[in-house]
Amino acid sequence: MRKPVLALGAVFAFTCGLSAAPPKGKVKIALIVESTVDDKGWCQSMHDAIKAVQKQYGEAKVEYSYSEKMKPVDAGSAARQYASRKFDIIICHGAQYKNLVTEMAPDFKDTTFVFGTSADIGGKNVFTYMPESEETGYLNGIIAGMVTKTNVVGLVGPVDGGDAARYDRGFVLGAKAVNPKVSVKVAHTGSFGDFVKASELAQTQMKAGADFLTGSSQQAMGALRAVAASPDRNIWWAGQDLSQLNVAESPRVLAASSYNYTAVVEVLIAKREAGVKGGENIPLNFANKGFVFAYNTKVGKVLTPAIKKAVDKAKADLAAGKLKLDWKAVKF
Amino acid sequence: MTHDLVYNILSLGVPFSVALLLASLGEMFNQRAGVFNLGCEGIMCMGAFLGFLPAFFLKTGPLAPYGIVLGFAVAAAAGVAMGLLFALVTVTFRAEQGIAGIGLQMMGWGVAGTLFRHFVGGVTGVEGLASWPLPGLSRIPFLGGILFNHNPMVYIAFLMVPASWYLLFKTPWGLKVRAAGTEPRAADSMGINVNRVRYQALMLGGAMAGLGGAYLSLCQAKMFADDLVAGRGFIAVALVYFGRWSPLGVLGGALLFSLAQSLQLAIQVAGIKFPYEFAVMLPYVLVILVLSLARKARMRGPTHLGVPFNREMRY
Repeated sequence: MRKPVLALGAVFAFTCGLSAAPPKGKVKIALIVESTVDDKGWCQSMHDAIKAVQKQYGEAKVEYSYSEKMKPVDAGSAARQYASRKFDIIICHGAQYKNLVTEMAPDFKDTTFVFGTSADIGGKNVFTYMPESEETGYLNGIIAGMVTKTNVVGLVGPVDGGDAARYDRGFVLGAKAVNPKVSVKVAHTGSFGDFVKASELAQTQMKAGADFLTGSSQQAMGALRAVAASPDRNIWWAGQDLSQLNVAESPRVLAASSYNYTAVVEVLIAKREAGVKGGENIPLNFANKGFVFAYNTKVGKVLTPAIKKAVDKAKADLAAGKLKLDWKAVKF
Repeated sequence: MTHDLVYNILSLGVPFSVALLLASLGEMFNQRAGVFNLGCEGIMCMGAFLGFLPAFFLKTGPLAPYGIVLGFAVAAAAGVAMGLLFALVTVTFRAEQGIAGIGLQMMGWGVAGTLFRHFVGGVTGVEGLASWPLPGLSRIPFLGGILFNHNPMVYIAFLMVPASWYLLFKTPWGLKVRAAGTEPRAADSMGINVNRVRYQALMLGGAMAGLGGAYLSLCQAKMFADDLVAGRGFIAVALVYFGRWSPLGVLGGALLFSLAQSLQLAIQVAGIKFPYEFAVMLPYVLVILVLSLARKARMRGPTHLGVPFNREMRY
């Protein structure tokens, strides 16, 4: 899995006009996350990407350190310490860190600060990144719309913001595009990390007749767990954020999208090598190989050729720019 | 449509209440004895993890069916140990209970997370406890599915309400507990060892908080992840005040909170136009509202709640 991801990263860097070559000197990267780096979701996806780049370039070229369970009030101290220790790139993985990054960046002009998801353009030494998740949501929505028998589909959202909001709206667009009768039950837990609440929400949706669910952020594992624990073996799941095809619950997962943050990390290193320390937004989309989408090959006949054909066509159209998704028009 | 909606809200709200109910009943014993334990959250974290661990390690093999039972036993034992530690700090050393409770909360949260990383590694699921419909009763129209179609821990938790009432109000030990929290000097003069009673109450309270935590990982989420408890321990403490230190009141509080939680989820899923930000606040707002509107005269708790007992001192 790692090699294709790295290859995609190289393509991504190439499309950004940069070569994915190792840095000349040593690059020190720090990651700050609110959850843990093994949460099988949001935080792990960035951690895995940095580790992959470190492995690719060698530990002599990339030094990596991370801080977990960092609430925004604690993260400021951690980020300041990294900056004082001359870390080159400090990635604060979450939009909740925007204020602290914005305030701190002018104090450490030689340090590259990064936060996301955000489409904002930060200061001269601040990069932002924004997964255009409506694209992965659209593909998962197509699958949901074509697989559901009850025409009721559940969506376990964390909050209605950032890439989660884009994913949710893309999912609704995809499901409705192939099945106008489908009813997408969009609901939010109000939290990125409350696994129990996500499980409760998934149970509520299944009780309401949903036979296909999806969700984003690390809390979605709670919802996936509820789907896997359901005695009804005809309830399916589509994954987002981190590939959920290798987890124990994967027999219920039809397909999964993951973020290719490897590419983002490579771009950050390459930009810094080129003397650009910030002031740009790095999008992730299918066109620049910022997403990895995969089917579960072990679910048998549920994923029919017609479904795969529709999804593959949409994916190709998105990558080619033929399909534009007006995700902002979707109202819940 | 309305019938289905009500049925879904009630049938999900009942099992959602169990973790809170168990922890709140335990906290009620603590507070009745004069000690409030803000560390309930930390004990639940440890209970959730240590309860999960046997089920995780024994998920395959001949001992697999016993993994969950063992998990609950380990969680209760861990709760007893943490209750004992809290008693040592607050009863024997007479440390300030609020601060000690916060310390216990942080310790439980941190130790559970650290052990989880070491022994398990990442977010992982277990088979968990399946539903166990009660023969005959579960077939009663409407009510059967709401009350009698749950996992065994739901029945056990609800049976603990009358058991707690009996223990607290109909046994000599219950009288000692109430005396230790209300008139410790009088209890002491009558030959009751107040500190020993407080130790016992804290151990019982710890066991129940541990069970509440294990319920989250083994029955509700059927998984463990860092910070799985996510603040429910603090809600459990609040529900004791809400329930006016009585088992029935605590049951009412746990049910109200969980049904409100189930209601807000159902409102969202039903697509009713209502900002979700307000919906997720509903259970918390409701509890605060009821607490605010309750008659103050009936809100009086144990008079020596939070006061360390020292027979050499006058209060």
